Amino acid sequence: MLKTSSLKLLSKRIFYVQPLSTQVQPQERLQTFRTTEDNPLNHTSEHIGQFYKLSPDAKKQLFLHGGLPKSFEVQIKTFTESCLMIRQPSIDIINCMKVINYTNPVVRFVLYSKKGNGKTLSMAHVIHYAFEAGFLVVHVPWVGNWMRRCKEKSNSEFKPGNIDLNVDAAAWLMHFKHQNSHLINNSDFKTSQDYVWSKRETTLKDTPLVELIEHGINRIKFASQCIVALAEEIKKLSQEGKCKTLVAIDGFNGFFYPNTRILTEKKEVVHPGNVTLTEAFLNLSKCDWSNAVVVVTVDELAIAEKDQICCLPRYLLGKKGFEHMDPFVPVPVLAYSDKEFKSCMDYFRERRWVLPVSGQDEELQFLSGGNPYRLMQLCNSL
Amino acid sequence: MSAITRLRGKTLNTIKNSTALISNRSFSEETEFRVLNLRTVKSQAPVRRKINKPDVLPPRSNQMPVDQDWGSVWPGQRTFHPATVPLPVRQGYTEKNAPPPSKFGNAELMKIPNFLHLTPPVIKKQCEALKQFCTPWPKGLETDEKCNKHFEIEVASSNYCYSSPSIRDPLARIVTLQIKLSSLPLDDHARDKFRRIVGDRYNEENDIVTIVADRCPLRQQNYDYAMYLLTAVFHESLRFEEWEKTKSEIDMEFYDWNVSKSKSSIESIFGKPAEEIVKADVYSKAVGALMNEGENEYTLAKYGESVREMLQLPAL
Repeated sequence: MLKTSSLKLLSKRIFYVQPLSTQVQPQERLQTFRTTEDNPLNHTSEHIGQFYKLSPDAKKQLFLHGGLPKSFEVQIKTFTESCLMIRQPSIDIINCMKVINYTNPVVRFVLYSKKGNGKTLSMAHVIHYAFEAGFLVVHVPWVGNWMRRCKEKSNSEFKPGNIDLNVDAAAWLMHFKHQNSHLINNSDFKTSQDYVWSKRETTLKDTPLVELIEHGINRIKFASQCIVALAEEIKKLSQEGKCKTLVAIDGFNGFFYPNTRILTEKKEVVHPGNVTLTEAFLNLSKCDWSNAVVVVTVDELAIAEKDQICCLPRYLLGKKGFEHMDPFVPVPVLAYSDKEFKSCMDYFRERRWVLPVSGQDEELQFLSGGNPYRLMQLCNSL
Repeated sequence: MSAITRLRGKTLNTIKNSTALISNRSFSEETEFRVLNLRTVKSQAPVRRKINKPDVLPPRSNQMPVDQDWGSVWPGQRTFHPATVPLPVRQGYTEKNAPPPSKFGNAELMKIPNFLHLTPPVIKKQCEALKQFCTPWPKGLETDEKCNKHFEIEVASSNYCYSSPSIRDPLARIVTLQIKLSSLPLDDHARDKFRRIVGDRYNEENDIVTIVADRCPLRQQNYDYAMYLLTAVFHESLRFEEWEKTKSEIDMEFYDWNVSKSKSSIESIFGKPAEEIVKADVYSKAVGALMNEGENEYTLAKYGESVREMLQLPAL
């Protein structure tokens, strides 16, 4: 009696197990953290938490001269592919960009978060979207590079008392030209007025915009002023409807933080308002033009360490900066949600970056507190 | 000659005497040993007078009836007395596993102040006795609100009572005057000026201004001075000085959206006055909250929502 019942049970179990063992495992895991939709134009909130592949060509065009954090670049190299996670803030901005009425004055978005929560990468996603959507991208990879560790400086010839950052300005012009190389040769892009640089050097009206940029790159002395002119030209072009523009500035609060590390010959600290580049980019982030979107990040890292008290935009921008940006749309970049965290860990495991250990996810989530940068650092040693 | 013989005779006599002494001594040694007695030892203790101690009475508390009038047993303030208090109280440091010392001969119980003279029935009795000296409570002042309404100014001072050669206490001169700012008839300008003049004497949480006067030696003088101060500040705040026109935005005590740059910038964006912009009122409130309450996640989120509504962007 006992034997037969156990036999029955055994046969039942075999019957139950067999179909599972022969079944092909669906690659559900793979699909949950990775999306095949690599075009940011089609990204919706359904894709949040998933990784998409930034094609090498696009990456080369957009972020060759900076724009991605260095540690992330290293990771890209290690993983031999550049994957970005689709996250709430970037999707939010992209959704807004899809419905904005571009005849109205520009809408300004301010990304803010604690250090290492992914402001820069969220912005990179938005830039990729704008690139695919045919926007002219005016992208400043990191304002801190100008205000906190500029390469070279000289007194401005055009505005006495102002400081030009020649090498940095020329490097930025290169970056701009490279990022928009597919648009810049458009025959519509022409200067709207004459620019007199010196006795012998002028840029006449209706010369292609490329020549203005080239002039800045070749005559490094005029690079800063050239950016001021370029900003004005871009505004006019957008206004006339010749292009749509995305202005993306990382570490925007650097333009308002009074203690820069730029010193005059008398070793006096230069206020960022007296830097020619500031003028150009504050002009671009004003709301007196249309057919464009401004996305900036405010970052604690763009200011001196002793003032890194709070990561909220009103504090970081200061009174003047807030008045300049107001009304803006604050977009918080939060720490990883459970879903995003799981997806990130799955991605790391898929890349063989982290060896799977049971209970690992919970511990890492606890240790990192959901902070993406911290998680990346913790996983480096696993 | 006769003198010489007399002298001779005298010496002979002394010699004779000394030999007699020695012979005497040897005789007494044989009969008794003399003791050199330096201390006088009394042979017998004197008989003491017996003190008649009165018998210790048993504690009074043993005889107390249950329904006695406690107020008459313990009428006033007094140090604890174990025999009078019919309670088995114990207090003090204990050895391990030992109960606290009992009330008899317990210094701990005598140290602490007690209120055995202020039991509820006694208080009731005393109040009854005092009633004949009281006047009826004025009509129309039944509740605290009514009192505050009719008597806006609250003056407080302290009396000190203790046994010392002087009955004066220097602290008794201090007069504290309190008034609710809302009870003063002030307009916006005057209210702001009043607050600036009184400075930290104003408590924002309960809207009360507190003036403490202690510079005069007498209480009456301090009271007069406090009233004078209140009057002076009140009239000063009503006055508008010429230099007050130079007050700029950074001098503002709070963020006023109607004169802010925020208003002018949204007017330039929409190209029409702020009153006509849809949802501008929500936005203005959000900016005001952000500036006045300080920046935090909540006010910032509210600000973001209002901007999205105003610019007709999809909500987060």
